[in-house]
Amino acid sequence: MFYSIRHVTRFRYSAPVRESVMELRMQPRSEGPQALRSFQINTNPRAQLYAYTDHFGNAVYHFNVLRAHEELRIEAQAVIELSRLTPMPEAVDTLEWERFNSYNLTDDHFDLLEPSKFSFYSPALARFMAENELENPKRDPLTELKVLNRTIHDAFAYELGVTQVHSPIDHALDERRGVCQDFAHIMIAVARRWGIPARYVSGYLYHRPNNRDRSGPDATHAWVEAYLPSLGWVGFDPTNNVLTGERHIRAAVGRDYADVPPTRGTLKGIAETELAIAVAVEPTLAPVRHEDFLRVARPMSAPQPTPSMPERLYHQQQQQQQ
Amino acid sequence: MQHEAVADLLEGLTGAARPVRGAPYGNYRLGSAYDEMFDAGAAVRPHYAELDAELLTLAPDELHRRQQACELSFLHQGITFTVYSDKQATERIIPTDLLPRIVTAAEWNRIETGLKQRIEALNHFLRDIYGDGRVLKDGVLPRSMIYGSKHYRREMRGVQVPHGAYVNVCGTDLVRREDGAFVVLEDNLRVPSGVSYMLANRDVVRRAFPDLFRAMGVRPIEHYPRELLAALRALTPFQEDASIAVLTPGVFNSAYFEHAFLARQMGVELVEGCDLLVNDNVVYARTTSGLKRIDVIYRRIDDDFIDPLIFREDSSLGVPGLFNAYRAGNVVIANALGTGVADDKAVYAYVPRLIRYYLSEEPILDNVETFLCREPASLSHVLANLDKLVVKAVGESGGYGMLVGPHATKAECEAFAEKVKADPENYIAQPTIQLSTAPTFVDGGVEARHVDLRPFILNGEKTVIVPGALTRVALKRGSLVVNSSQGGGSKDTWVLSS
Repeated sequence: MFYSIRHVTRFRYSAPVRESVMELRMQPRSEGPQALRSFQINTNPRAQLYAYTDHFGNAVYHFNVLRAHEELRIEAQAVIELSRLTPMPEAVDTLEWERFNSYNLTDDHFDLLEPSKFSFYSPALARFMAENELENPKRDPLTELKVLNRTIHDAFAYELGVTQVHSPIDHALDERRGVCQDFAHIMIAVARRWGIPARYVSGYLYHRPNNRDRSGPDATHAWVEAYLPSLGWVGFDPTNNVLTGERHIRAAVGRDYADVPPTRGTLKGIAETELAIAVAVEPTLAPVRHEDFLRVARPMSAPQPTPSMPERLYHQQQQQQQ
Repeated sequence: MQHEAVADLLEGLTGAARPVRGAPYGNYRLGSAYDEMFDAGAAVRPHYAELDAELLTLAPDELHRRQQACELSFLHQGITFTVYSDKQATERIIPTDLLPRIVTAAEWNRIETGLKQRIEALNHFLRDIYGDGRVLKDGVLPRSMIYGSKHYRREMRGVQVPHGAYVNVCGTDLVRREDGAFVVLEDNLRVPSGVSYMLANRDVVRRAFPDLFRAMGVRPIEHYPRELLAALRALTPFQEDASIAVLTPGVFNSAYFEHAFLARQMGVELVEGCDLLVNDNVVYARTTSGLKRIDVIYRRIDDDFIDPLIFREDSSLGVPGLFNAYRAGNVVIANALGTGVADDKAVYAYVPRLIRYYLSEEPILDNVETFLCREPASLSHVLANLDKLVVKAVGESGGYGMLVGPHATKAECEAFAEKVKADPENYIAQPTIQLSTAPTFVDGGVEARHVDLRPFILNGEKTVIVPGALTRVALKRGSLVVNSSQGGGSKDTWVLSS
């Protein structure tokens, strides 16, 4: 299965701003059943892109725009291939609980047991766990996580605008309403409370026509992965009460949202910011391979060097136009 | 000054206190603490003999006149520090004491080798926890202590630092126990301050006792800024051509004087965050002649504030994009980010174990005995003995968030016990330490006052310790709190060459 993803982010400022510095975490990961076939980012104003891999293995792109601008547009395009997932067993044995030990877990797993900025144990979470009998999981961890997935799905209404990007989980817990990000944070907090390493996944969900997903199209999506020693990372989507499957496209993982926002930036200037995001996920039959690109490219003569005009002079003269 | 130095205790008023002899020592009381000048039998220790002779020959007025000259010099040079949340004045002269504190060559030798050993182990530790995490896999210290620390910077995982040296400038607080041994009270691995006072004190006290200074063979310290510059240059391949800047939070910072002083002494730029910018992953300073590339930043800003893109978004002190330039190796930041995880008061308790673990050596300098409230047995001991212990919050500094048991009321102890019980992992406790006393000029006479010792270690390509230190002194009789923010002063420290 191939998907093409187009993710456009546009910041509009009410007054010119300068020195924008931005980090992007939107390159789909290439691991497991998901393989990245192509990826590119364009910005307007144009900027030189730099990249690094963060300690969660996410590809991070960053750039800056020095001069004054009133709009910043970022367009990311990706093609990924998602191969068929290995079927998940209905349950694991209850001895799985004993396997959360230092023989099976690495430092990275242990780090995902600690409270993080948005996913932590709080009185509101304690009440939620008590009300839904989530305090003492007795069945095997996979079954318990599925129950948790369904419990969150059933207990909360999906509603945009109730919570903000930086809302703590208590807000959604009190209101019993929220969006995918809140549900993921709550599920992570409960799983960690149970001693199960859990992480936040930001990515994209392909919505079939006439789908009944609660999360809307035109948006990024978020869900949870829990680590079970005998199965590895297992994805749960509490927003839609499903295990993640061939419609979930993973872009970045972290302890919670704070580690993986698709865009994070700073700028200088005083202006109101209007943010617009558009996401399109489309199945494609097959991606255009790099070799095909090369074949269709028409041979073109290289531009002639201009020896009479040294490069520096050229640049200086260009600058005089402004 | 950032860190607290001292635990505490009442002067040993337990009967042993007695005057030493006549003027100017009429009010000099020896308690149970180790005294730097007099031995237990009230005889002058040999390395203080010359100072003793000088004090006996000088008229009291003359001492007073020299003390005033010292203070005036500080005022004229503008050597001040800032006390936060003080209603009267925030900017003050740090009180400096006329009388030098003298350290013998043998004592210094031990301190120097002990500190070098310690910083080597701490650098190993930082490389490890930001690398393979061997120390955690081997269970030498609990994982939650690292992952739970607010100073642990996951962003530093896998980032290479030059020479593997995370701590390029370290100020370690030492105190002398009753038995005369120097022990480590605290490692300051983030942005330790005080070195400018070390240099300023030397400047004025040398002039107050010119003959004595010459006669005693005091080792020089004036080359500290040069050594610092060399250490910073050695962090880049450019050496002499490296472009260096001191990054200060600004004029309202308590150590701003020091930042300006060091920049001037080294002949490098003094910049605030807004003077720097990152373009195409390279750091530049805005200067009157355009943008100038910066290769090394000696930063005196905490990690949290250094880059709003990566750390605290609300920081107006930092430079957006700085961390990514640093990660790419386009700029060096000294000290490296994330060093605070190793000077955490809870990790402190493990340093002797870390020395054995990484170096297979016995620690040369001991720690002060420390109880970790995270360990249930220690917690019950601490709660039962609150009135005898000093309890500190793990992440705080500068004497804030601590309880000095022997000086606290019952109500204060009880209130603090609740805090400790609510969050035991955040607290440690230490016995009240009798800091050593040193002769100090007070009210026209010489009296004993408690002191600590903060030497400064430079580490990079090699480790250099300038033979001197900031000696902080609690000017109130009996007080053990030497923090400048809490009424402490400072003394010149004379390390003898033989």
